[in-house]
Amino acid sequence: MGELYTIIIDGKEIQVSQGITILKAAQQAGIYIPTLCYLPEGEDSRRPCLLCMVEVAGSGRVRACSTEVAPGMQIETRTKELEAFRKERLQALADNHYGDCRAPCNLTCPGGINVQGYVNLVAKGEYEAALRLIKEKNPLPVSVGRVCPRFCETRCRRVLLDEAIAINHLKRFVADYALEHGYRERDIAPATGHKVAIVGGGPAGLSCAYYLRKLGHEVWIFEAAEKLGGLLRYGIPNFKLPDKALDKEIRSILELGIHVKTGKSWGEDFTLQDLRDDGFESIFLATGLSRQKPLEVEGGQLAIDGLKFLRRINTGSAPRIGKKVLIIGGGDIAVDAARSAKRLGAEDVTVIYPRSRVELPAHQRDIGEAEKEGVQFFLMAMPMRLFEVENGIKVEMARTILGEPNERGIRLPVPMPGSRLFWDGDTVISALGQEGDITFQSFGELEASIAVTPRKTIKAHPSTMKTSVSGIFAGGDAVSGSRTVIQAVAAGRRAAESIHEFLEKEKVGLIEPRFNFTKGKRFEDVDMHNFDGYSIRLNEIMPSRPPERRTQDFDEVALGFSEEMAVREAKRCLRCGCSGLSKCTYRELSIDYKVKTNKAPSRMRYKIDSSHPFIQVDPNKCIGCTRCERSCRYGALVLEIKEDPKTGTMQDVSIGLNEKCVSCGACVDACPTGALSKKAVIVPLLPSQVKPVKSVCTYCGTGCSLDLLVNYGSLIEVRADRKRPPNWGNLCVKGRFGYTFYRHKDRLTRPLIRDSIEEPFREVDWDEALRFTAARFMRIKEAYGADSLGILASSRCTNEENYLLQKLARGVWGTNNIDNCARV
Amino acid sequence: MIDPRRTDVAAIAEAQPEGIWLRLKPGTNIPLLNGMLHVIFKEGLQDDAFISARTENIDALRKHIADCTPDKTAEITGVPAEDIVKAARKYAQANNALILYGLGVAEHKGGTAGVMALANLVLATGHVGRPHNGIDPLRGQNNVQGACDMGTLPYTYPGYQATDDEKVLESFARAWGVDSLPTTEGLLEPQMYTKAIEGTFKGLYCVGYDPAQTQANIAHVHKALRALDFLVLQDMFMIETAKFAHVILPAASFYEKDGTFTSGERRVRRVNKALEAPGASKADWEIVCLLSQAMGYPMFYNHPEQIMGEISQLVPAYAGISYRYLDEIGQVWPVSASERHGTPLLHTKTFPRGKGHFVPVSYMLPEEDADKDFPLVLITGRRLEHYNNASMTTRCEGFDILSPEEHVEVHPVDCEALGIMDGDMVKVVSRRAVVKVRARVTRRSRPGTVFMSFHYQKTLTNFLTSPGMDTKTMTPEYKVCAVRLEK
Repeated sequence: MGELYTIIIDGKEIQVSQGITILKAAQQAGIYIPTLCYLPEGEDSRRPCLLCMVEVAGSGRVRACSTEVAPGMQIETRTKELEAFRKERLQALADNHYGDCRAPCNLTCPGGINVQGYVNLVAKGEYEAALRLIKEKNPLPVSVGRVCPRFCETRCRRVLLDEAIAINHLKRFVADYALEHGYRERDIAPATGHKVAIVGGGPAGLSCAYYLRKLGHEVWIFEAAEKLGGLLRYGIPNFKLPDKALDKEIRSILELGIHVKTGKSWGEDFTLQDLRDDGFESIFLATGLSRQKPLEVEGGQLAIDGLKFLRRINTGSAPRIGKKVLIIGGGDIAVDAARSAKRLGAEDVTVIYPRSRVELPAHQRDIGEAEKEGVQFFLMAMPMRLFEVENGIKVEMARTILGEPNERGIRLPVPMPGSRLFWDGDTVISALGQEGDITFQSFGELEASIAVTPRKTIKAHPSTMKTSVSGIFAGGDAVSGSRTVIQAVAAGRRAAESIHEFLEKEKVGLIEPRFNFTKGKRFEDVDMHNFDGYSIRLNEIMPSRPPERRTQDFDEVALGFSEEMAVREAKRCLRCGCSGLSKCTYRELSIDYKVKTNKAPSRMRYKIDSSHPFIQVDPNKCIGCTRCERSCRYGALVLEIKEDPKTGTMQDVSIGLNEKCVSCGACVDACPTGALSKKAVIVPLLPSQVKPVKSVCTYCGTGCSLDLLVNYGSLIEVRADRKRPPNWGNLCVKGRFGYTFYRHKDRLTRPLIRDSIEEPFREVDWDEALRFTAARFMRIKEAYGADSLGILASSRCTNEENYLLQKLARGVWGTNNIDNCARV
Repeated sequence: MIDPRRTDVAAIAEAQPEGIWLRLKPGTNIPLLNGMLHVIFKEGLQDDAFISARTENIDALRKHIADCTPDKTAEITGVPAEDIVKAARKYAQANNALILYGLGVAEHKGGTAGVMALANLVLATGHVGRPHNGIDPLRGQNNVQGACDMGTLPYTYPGYQATDDEKVLESFARAWGVDSLPTTEGLLEPQMYTKAIEGTFKGLYCVGYDPAQTQANIAHVHKALRALDFLVLQDMFMIETAKFAHVILPAASFYEKDGTFTSGERRVRRVNKALEAPGASKADWEIVCLLSQAMGYPMFYNHPEQIMGEISQLVPAYAGISYRYLDEIGQVWPVSASERHGTPLLHTKTFPRGKGHFVPVSYMLPEEDADKDFPLVLITGRRLEHYNNASMTTRCEGFDILSPEEHVEVHPVDCEALGIMDGDMVKVVSRRAVVKVRARVTRRSRPGTVFMSFHYQKTLTNFLTSPGMDTKTMTPEYKVCAVRLEK
């Protein structure tokens, strides 16, 4: 033990032992000094990162990692100049860093779902983990997996190679599969004692209820209709989202213990004040948009309201519509109404829309399906007048042209001068889109004080969902106007987090920094060399019923991927997002120091090397810290960096693993970026998203300490803790990489029995297996005595298990015939 | 480093200027160790103070090894005499010296004797009872230590308490709430097979173990397993033994359960449940409880912590072991009830039997050795990349690339004599079987010896291995078996 020195770091006086570095001294005092190249107990880097430079009174700037403390040393770690210097160092590295932090699909999803993560969990057969990951952001995957317009797929880079991944089909597969296989929600926080009311049981309301309940709050949903689901139930036709699937999904949410009051209409049955009086501390308004824009032409009242039309079908009271039907509008409701009309027996169904095909607001995919079913689209035309004729209805129409741009630059369609056309048939359905409704303001005093927008929607903050009244939040279509289901779901989740914060004064939810390196925000920016070496493999095609069959009923059109198809599709993922994310100290520091990524290279300079069985080498992400080289004890990692003689910036990097490599993986865990990453890490997660479970390696008898990094019920990766014996951070190939057997498809998951070894096994439940086993052992014991039985226990089982096995042999069976496999 | 093969560790020893690698002939451990002892005594390098204070029977040993000169030893073992002298000096003269030994010592007909030869070396030099000294068997499996501690051996109750000690039986009977406990001698695993073939052993419950692949001379084991009336296998995968089973019970992996393992240094460590077990699979301890209940004995535990509570009551060395104190680094037994960390260092003042007893041991010939018909010695063992029957490692991503199939390692000299090229399919023929495998030409093997692992279910190496066993423990002689190679 050396002498004790007194030194001052950032004005704080501390006692340190002689001979330690400033960095260690600061760490002991809980003062954080950033480092990138520093390797505890390792040798110094030949390319120091210089981030740990500190100011020592009298000696100027020194490296904290390699300067020993001296008595009376006065050290500043955070001066403005130092911070500026660090930022400059980090920025210089950014200008050399090429890659994607997060995948484009992930960044594009309005729900913020870790798309790459769940796609790859599907690829590995970890369906439940995939669903848990999805549900972290979206509790309605069964529904969204059927109706989402798929923002993610529009950004999928695979389109540059062949076709985008069918992400949404995978979501649907996972949701359906897991629900069928008894998926159960876990991890509900202990009761908080807070009571929250949710007005409206559509996607936003259900989503909010789910997250609030998981946070431990008492949740009540008030729904005006007879059943929950909102537009999912009453708007979207069964052939797209069957009631059965929706019911299952809603049941899985309600199973968390959510109170539901259906048939309770806001304004008629209760007011917000009533809810407050009943002890609800917070209220979430998610009433959606139930009103449709009226058809403002002469005779417009003759048209059926499209939304009501769909609602009547969904509640089993479809109106008679005859054989010839005209739909006015071009959105989802118009197309759904047209397809529904076909199913109700209409032979001639036409959608009329005043603009061109590409401008149809409905999804092109749905338009295609509608056309296959025989729906016709009459474009560049608008209705002028509706009037009744004998046995039907007649519509006067005009062809349209686009008028002069208005003040917002939009060219509205106007009737072509002199154009006059007629349509006659049985029914006209108007589906011009939904509009806001502020009649609620008349329900009571509280309601009157809720601010609204000029579009007649509720005014709420876009990220906190707070309304103008404290404790009252709002989200979904009632706030945003007509949007997609996933957007409503996201609003519900944000509201839940915000309500929790309001009630508990604590922040929840993952804070995801916007910081991101990207290989190109737009497709045209992406270097096509990224796809070198890939072969073309097109999408799996979603099986669906043929059009002539499906128009006979309202049963679901798309049948869903089989397991094999889902796995094949998921394997197509290019895994754009960085699998080194959870260990990327460089990114964390770059966020802290507000480093800009806009000058990062736009071209790939080095080939990504995937030839190693476990490690992917991507020199494009190397920051030259040399930690990998220094952590290798076998001389197996060859790192060469050429520098610009003037600036010292890296010009040429090569990282090679040679034949001496024993695959211990020390280098990959030492790398502070994704330059070295583990192939088996398939879910890119932030450092805060992986929590280590302390365990012990179960291969040899050394008993190395392991950190099992788990999330979503999946083992993401295995690392070793530098601070724990007997391995102090080291592992062998089996310890670090030999863990994925747990998810192998060969895992036995059900007991198997057979009468003789010539027969095949049959799957049985535990009761039967145990009864069978007990009876057979008992029969042998009775016939031949206890010593005709024996147990071979295992050096692989725990102490407790071995103890019980010998207890079973001696105490229950009455024999000392027990041995274990220690001889092998 | 003592090993017939140029293992990774041998290569490290070879590469160091001060390193010594004694490349002995397979099966000659005992003469080599006796030869080293001879040098130590001849040159007066022994620790006389230690010997007189802590040991007995030194005279018998000295007499026994008087003839084991380096030259004679060199002749038997194939190790150059000067290396034997160098190694003996180095070990004896080191301030601290630790012996780590693996299955290359134990898996011989003279395995137990080989361990005793090592113990003689330790006792003669006093390298024991101090930090950084002693003798440490490297355990081939993660919980060999713990399984034995827990009494899954026919001749001891948990904590190495004798099966014929009335007091022990009484305390266990009381704790378990049973009237009596068996007094007949239990069977060792190899005896179970013999009795099965004879027809007196009928039902076997096999947990987390694959004897049909990993036992030696498996044709015999297969015959025994086939002769059973009833075999229950508990595992994660359809391993080779499943072919002979009537029931397969799906078990959880160690990621999916709580419990403790005891490492080779007697350190009891906690495994923490990190994942849910897939499907209907269950932790082994749960299954044992359920089976016990099905057979009418109420075995109920809520958590392995409760089981450890029972163990600590019955096993003196585990008395102070508790989930509350295991924390992140574990406890090293023996741990008395009042202790926390336990006893990392044993034998500081005395040995369990009092004085260390020198046991003179002699070279024991293997069951079979290279001869005219089978001119090569096959050594079997493990490779870094795989684990035992490899039911886990072959199902891990990447390992199929790293080490996809079995191969026989042959020295270039032998290859040349046989006209075998690297990568050729060859037949490895022993007295018992023929196994087809690809040849790898490598200087890792000693001329005259070849090496195979037993990791692959597709290539069951143990059809070849010897029926020889250690005379005391019945550990199979995996390390020596006579074979020939055919193209």
